[in-house]
Amino acid sequence: MRNDPELPFFFGAESGLFGMYHAPVSVPRRAVLMCPPLGQELIRTHRLYRQLAQALAAQGVAVLRFDYHGTGDSAGDSAEVDWNRCIGDAVTAAGELRSRAGVDRVVAFGARLGGSIALGAADRARFAEVIAWDPVVNGDDYVAALDTMQAALREDADRFSRPRTHADVAEQWLGFDIGESLRKQLMGLRVAPPNVPTLVLDSLPADAAPRWEHLVSRRGKVAAISPPTPWNDLRRLEAAILSHPLIQAVSGRMTEDA
Amino acid sequence: MREEAFRFGRARHLVGIAGVPDGSDGETGVIVLNAGLVHRIGPFRLHVELTRQLNSAGYPTLRFDLSTLGDSGASGGGLTRTQQVCADVDDAMRLLAERAGCKRFVLVGLCSGAQNAHTVAASDPRVSGAVFLDGYAYRTLGYKLRHYLPRALDPARWARFLRHRAGGGGTDKAASEPVFAVAPAPREEVIADFTGMVGRGMKLYLVYSGGISYCFNHARQFRECFGKVMDHPAVTTSYRAETDHTYILTGDRARLVDGIGGWLARNFPPASGRHA
Repeated sequence: MRNDPELPFFFGAESGLFGMYHAPVSVPRRAVLMCPPLGQELIRTHRLYRQLAQALAAQGVAVLRFDYHGTGDSAGDSAEVDWNRCIGDAVTAAGELRSRAGVDRVVAFGARLGGSIALGAADRARFAEVIAWDPVVNGDDYVAALDTMQAALREDADRFSRPRTHADVAEQWLGFDIGESLRKQLMGLRVAPPNVPTLVLDSLPADAAPRWEHLVSRRGKVAAISPPTPWNDLRRLEAAILSHPLIQAVSGRMTEDA
Repeated sequence: MREEAFRFGRARHLVGIAGVPDGSDGETGVIVLNAGLVHRIGPFRLHVELTRQLNSAGYPTLRFDLSTLGDSGASGGGLTRTQQVCADVDDAMRLLAERAGCKRFVLVGLCSGAQNAHTVAASDPRVSGAVFLDGYAYRTLGYKLRHYLPRALDPARWARFLRHRAGGGGTDKAASEPVFAVAPAPREEVIADFTGMVGRGMKLYLVYSGGISYCFNHARQFRECFGKVMDHPAVTTSYRAETDHTYILTGDRARLVDGIGGWLARNFPPASGRHA
């Protein structure tokens, strides 16, 4: 096998999980697992995740990007996405990264629900630290925001020549089928503080900032990055989210960690 | 059937996912090109759903990222973008030929993907079919009549216009930001390309959505845009007025995928007995 710096592959049970391993030029001593968000946010952040992975690999960090079951290139339908399985997939991916990189110390990074999954998987995956970018800490609010946007989508004149029926938009969030179990799982989501150091990168608009204190009171901190990220703007639903400050913040944290 | 991930291409710069049905080799391979800047999974995972359904129907498929899109890098070959697209699709066809024994190919592309599929299909004899989703379109006289006439005759619209003027004409409605767009090519050139494609036996499927109502608004517009070549038996057209440009609703997406599968089955029947 050639030693490609970026290697796509499948792993996990029945080789159903897609991963992209970014090998650093030198022998790695540290590794970062990049947990993607779900739904359209996964697509919107794909480019940024790749840029961040390349930046980290350039500073000697081994990186694994991956897709959960039912998302991205991984096996499974979109309606099969399950919260507990996402957590399990993150644990599996952490093991895969340790095995490929030959290092034990793995830091997790995740945006939005990817950050929540990283926090939820921290103990089982033995993450050394979690860096969470605008993580979802209260599932009720997140579900309400998605429901509101989905309702607005039904009559979005920039998208449809005439409003669609309620049945046309039912049981979906912004382009993806959702199973009833995922909705319930997210509505009940309350992210507990992990037993590892946590860095929350906050780019939510000032009026939307949740209270992060419970996440970071013991072993963590919050860093603001700007400008605010338009996660919930329907007009930008298909626009990529790019953020040089985010890359700088994560790269900088990993440099401190060296 | 299991999907395989590949790094491939003349500079090993491309990344793609091949799905090859179990059993004997498939004659016709389907290659799906990037839609805009979205990586190979496609808008709302359209390309994943499409390729997996086609795999179930017996077609080998490849969804991949063109140079510098998604996870693919630059080839460093100093080619123009058009040359690079042709080289990348050539690499993709070689990979699918090697993995699944494909001898002919159908290209599928949405928006800029349709434009790229058109470019390759116009010049590569291995391409036997193409699915153009919201590809080239031109505002014809028919389009303008259908678009402007109802507005000009609508009293409510006039009333809104006059109220707006009286109120000073300001607006706080933010303009939506276009994410997908197809750069125009000369219409005569596109017609000549279509004519050449069907002349050498290619099958074409043009599916246009209501999401490009700024330039296309009726099934008749296929004929208005491209002339009599649209009447050729090798050309199938479909106008889906109710849908948006990127098929955000899962029902619309399923109907599109079914439509492409049906068109393929009619025009490129898969080898029998080799799929579940």
